[in-house]
Amino acid sequence: MRPFDYVRTTTLDETCQLLGQDGDSSVRALAGGTDLLTLMKKEISVPTQLIDLKRLPDLPSGITSTAQGMTIGTLTTMTEIETNVQLQEKYPLLAEAAAVAATPQLRNMATIGGNLLQRPRCWYYRNQLVNCWLKGGDECQAQDGENQLHALFGGGPCYAVHPSDLAPALLALEATVQLRGPGGERMVPLAEFYALPEEKRRQETQLEKDELLLNIHLPGLPAGTRSTYLKAMDRKVWAFALVGVAAIVRLEEQKIVDARLVLSGVAPIPWRVTAAEQALVGATANEATFAEIAEFALADAQSLSHNAYKITLAKSLVRRALTMLTDEG
Amino acid sequence: MSSKRLLTTLAINGIEHELALEPRRTLLDALRHDLQLTGTKKVCDMGDCGACTVLVDGRAMYACLLLAVDCTDRQITTIEGLAQADELDPLQQAFIEADAFQCGFCTAGQIMSLKGLLNETPAPNDDQILRAVTGNLCRCGAYRNILKAGRLAADQVAHPEEARHADSTH
Amino acid sequence: MPIQHIKVLRNGTDEEELKVVETTGLPTWDADTKFTVVGRPQSRLEGLEKVTGRARYSYDVRLSGQLYAAVLRSPYPHARIRHIDTTKAEQLPGVHAILSSANAPDDITWYEEKSKLFDKTLRFIGDEVAAVAAESEEFAQDALRLIEVAYEPLPFVIEVEAALQPDAPRVHDKGNRVDEPTIYERGNAAAGLREADVVIEQTYTTQTAVHNSLEPHGCTAFWEGDQLTLWESTQGIFETREQVAEKLGLPEHHVRVVKEHMGGGFGSKQVPWKQTVIAALLSKQSGHPVQLMLDREAENLAAGNRNATVQRVRLGAKRDGTLTAILADIQVVVGAYMVGGEASEVNGMYERLYRCPNVRTEQIGVYINAGPCVAFRAPGHVEAAFALEAAMDELARALQLDPLTLRNRNYSEIDQKKEKPLSMPNALQVCYERATAAFGWQTYQRPAPTGPKRRGIGIAAHEWGGSGQPPAYAWIKLNGDGTVDVVTGTQDIGTGARTGLAQVAAEVLGLPIEQISVHLGDTAKGPYSPTSAGSSTQASVGPAVFAAAVEAKRQLLEVAAKLLEEEPERLEIRDGVVMVEGEPENKLTVAEVTGRLAPHMIIGQGARGPNAKDKTIRTFGAQCVEVEVDVETGEITVLRVVAAHDCGRIINPTMVDSQVFGGITQGVGFALTEERIVDEKRGLVLNANLEEYKIPTVADIPQMTNVPVNLPDLAANPTGVKGIGEPPLVPTAPAIANAVFDAIGVRLRHAPLSRRQLLAALATQAESIDKSAPPHTQEGQS
Repeated sequence: MRPFDYVRTTTLDETCQLLGQDGDSSVRALAGGTDLLTLMKKEISVPTQLIDLKRLPDLPSGITSTAQGMTIGTLTTMTEIETNVQLQEKYPLLAEAAAVAATPQLRNMATIGGNLLQRPRCWYYRNQLVNCWLKGGDECQAQDGENQLHALFGGGPCYAVHPSDLAPALLALEATVQLRGPGGERMVPLAEFYALPEEKRRQETQLEKDELLLNIHLPGLPAGTRSTYLKAMDRKVWAFALVGVAAIVRLEEQKIVDARLVLSGVAPIPWRVTAAEQALVGATANEATFAEIAEFALADAQSLSHNAYKITLAKSLVRRALTMLTDEG
Repeated sequence: MSSKRLLTTLAINGIEHELALEPRRTLLDALRHDLQLTGTKKVCDMGDCGACTVLVDGRAMYACLLLAVDCTDRQITTIEGLAQADELDPLQQAFIEADAFQCGFCTAGQIMSLKGLLNETPAPNDDQILRAVTGNLCRCGAYRNILKAGRLAADQVAHPEEARHADSTH
Repeated sequence: MPIQHIKVLRNGTDEEELKVVETTGLPTWDADTKFTVVGRPQSRLEGLEKVTGRARYSYDVRLSGQLYAAVLRSPYPHARIRHIDTTKAEQLPGVHAILSSANAPDDITWYEEKSKLFDKTLRFIGDEVAAVAAESEEFAQDALRLIEVAYEPLPFVIEVEAALQPDAPRVHDKGNRVDEPTIYERGNAAAGLREADVVIEQTYTTQTAVHNSLEPHGCTAFWEGDQLTLWESTQGIFETREQVAEKLGLPEHHVRVVKEHMGGGFGSKQVPWKQTVIAALLSKQSGHPVQLMLDREAENLAAGNRNATVQRVRLGAKRDGTLTAILADIQVVVGAYMVGGEASEVNGMYERLYRCPNVRTEQIGVYINAGPCVAFRAPGHVEAAFALEAAMDELARALQLDPLTLRNRNYSEIDQKKEKPLSMPNALQVCYERATAAFGWQTYQRPAPTGPKRRGIGIAAHEWGGSGQPPAYAWIKLNGDGTVDVVTGTQDIGTGARTGLAQVAAEVLGLPIEQISVHLGDTAKGPYSPTSAGSSTQASVGPAVFAAAVEAKRQLLEVAAKLLEEEPERLEIRDGVVMVEGEPENKLTVAEVTGRLAPHMIIGQGARGPNAKDKTIRTFGAQCVEVEVDVETGEITVLRVVAAHDCGRIINPTMVDSQVFGGITQGVGFALTEERIVDEKRGLVLNANLEEYKIPTVADIPQMTNVPVNLPDLAANPTGVKGIGEPPLVPTAPAIANAVFDAIGVRLRHAPLSRRQLLAALATQAESIDKSAPPHTQEGQS
């Protein structure tokens, strides 16, 4: 890593101000560090100053119940999410997603805030010899290169996929993130918070440079709602998703009355397949429906030279998730 | 070129060390270079292998992804801190008995991961033992015996008398 | 004296003349020998050091004033250095030495003289450009960023077929073929094909796999006057000493190479690499000890790999399964340079494993602009088995024979290449029998499919060397208190050699193992032993320790006989006590004998004798695998592996089990996930890390059973031991591929068996089923 200064701040205002300061200095916030340090070691991120967030008294940590649902503080670790009994009961897909993410050590270190803000694992983006579009370059090398791990949806100019397992689960839950900037706070639905990178914003979120993520708010789910997160990996554990599916279904007398489907590993951001969700509502829960829905969910997928297998894989996972969630047994 | 060093107090294996460190020094490098505690191994330096696993406030973490200056008010345990005087930790004993290593380069990390598990879950089931070492690669392929060692040690911690008896009869 | 040393030293190339040691009159451990230490489970002698973190690896050396080196590496797959300027880096505080083509000695060459230590022509991403020694690893990295290099990028080639085109960019001036093809033929292979009732013709490919030893390559170098010491992470301390002395123009006794513990090598550390000499020169230049360890990226780019292969295989057989022809055209992708002097012997297994009168193999090595290959655990055989053993499975299907039956029908009891008998002609048969019996091959009932999950079984065999050979030497010193120091210049690379050698000494001397210490891994302290490679340490060095112990025991009994007023022939040592046959009261402990002698010392010297000349000594093995394939997601789960491997006499069943389980684990990685990914357009290695180069985790391993095959092979040496280090990796991948076919009727011919490949093949299968072709006849004959 290149040299940098390390500072601790005492208030959120001071922190946002530092993060937003102009000039040459690049200031980054450090929480769990499991993504930022790897970016710094490969000089993809070269901050001159790091602000320690972990000891910032006003930055929330932990999981609390609210009138509507639950709130997760940004410094909450993945292990806490994995093992929190209330979360496991109310939002099983979230605990499941945490349990299949990374490793025990990384889950002990990584925070939910950092998990949502992590950068892609694209092997061109992460390669020091490549100045890819996402890093400010002119082209995406994956587009005509080794793109077996790359995007089926929303690709171009960047074809990287979003690496988080938690983000698709939270998106399916229609979570809202509470952000804090120098001018105060704002609440942004996760569906808006994640936005495909564009020319002037080469990142996957709408977070401003001087903003901090404070909380994630989860709305309540009606009784009888079931959810799961399925993930296909190259290994049995410890790999980023080739494809993942976060699914939420509520059934009334074999009719689906609510459905949400978010795919991971297929787009630069977690990818909600709204049209497939709408098609599910009102349908009878059976294999034929699910097969149709799976086709529908992937209908707009555009494969690159090496990633067509992901379409098959995603369809299988969608079918499987829906079957599991509507299985009476 | 280098940045300002920070005076940093690290509590390692119950002993406080005061060090002047560049902020970019990882906990792993501070252990291996500033404190010459080389039992914790550097393999990938990117959080991809688990060889540098140490306990931070009792929990297993990768020392390569922690800044040393970021560990000031935390209790760090390394492989060197496991044995009490000359008595090996049950995990260390079990690793020898089960032949849970070959080259030995991942061993400290594997042991520390299991130590983290036993700290929180004194009587783990087999699945919990397996999950505890999913973040530790072993290139020699000693996994089966690592699981065996985890089981042996967990039984030893849970029922010291029975486990010792079983030992003496085999 | 039972041992005569030195017949002919390094005389030409005739193999017979190279046998430097003759041993006669040594006892042998035949099948009836009763043991007290040998053959019993024994935990590793270095266990305490390894579980406490005290074991000192090369990476852990910390010397006063030690500097840390970092290497600037080529960012281009092929380029020329136009200009290099290290001025700014030199001025950085904390930087003590810099080497590059601008100032390094010009006469040190590498890679068969195709590259200089710092060459101006760079032939792969990762090729060495410059090196810096500084007061910390961080400072060294800072300095690298300040080195200014003007590169002239050159055309490059990555893909093997492209490299063989006449107008391909040239990796070396003479082109991209390493040499003329190596051709072997016996009988008439073309005629053999014509005779055949069934012919299988298929092309298989294997990937570039990376060793990824957890301890990277590297060393700590320091000088005391004109004496150079290297703490090197190496499989061969003497090989390293010889090479470094030669490169630096030093006499060998001025170079000391030490390696106490090593964090894995798997073949990649059996030759010294440039960084060793670079570290020595940086240390010389700076006047400080210098530690130069590769980082993980460099380890993946520039420290060796298993060569990718393309293998076109043709098998011909009669209706009853008798092989009439075996043909293989093999391309071995060696990378930018040859490191070990020769490419992997992929052809060998085709020539030896099955009885067949008509065999033809043709093998060429191909240069490309990527990191050089080097031996990787059973080099050649892992690649060959993936193709040959799958082709045999395809043949069995085409003939509607059980794959085991086909193998037994073509069993060879002799070495067909040399027309000599095998020392253990039925060893492979025993392996087949034990592995299939323990697995339940004959009685296997395929469970009914549960949902999308299908089960299948597969089998594969292997053959390998592992006989061990001379030269290797050992000393045994008996101390005054009855303890023993075994001294030899071998290495324990994590295989348990230290422990196995102690067991041999303990057995011969009749002492408990606690009384034995083994000192190895230091050229200054022990006699020559060979590089730990070819699964030969226990089989090469063990007999030297055995001979030394026999000699020490002879001397000990001579002294004891005088003390006991007996004939030495009537004495025996058991549990540390010298006893007289038939006179239980008349005895002395070994410690009493050596105590009476001290400070005079008994020293036994031992040398490894030659192998039998009239027989070929090989090792064999077979593995049976059961897999489960999820046909919807393409996920392959290896459920269980049963292995039976012939390694001669088993000295330590614990270590043998560990080698077998470790080999299977690496085989699972080779079969399913491990592959270096290179962007062929850009020459970029995309997964030079442990994130996307996926080695198996604890959750990926199957249930494993190792069925012991304890067949002492006295043609190899008096201890009857042969090697087990490499072979267990060989049959795993083809057995998995065969089991996948058995499960789903889809043949995957490209390692690794990725989801991408499997899902694409399933889609093709579905299409052809739609066209109502039965799945099992579309395979096989073609």
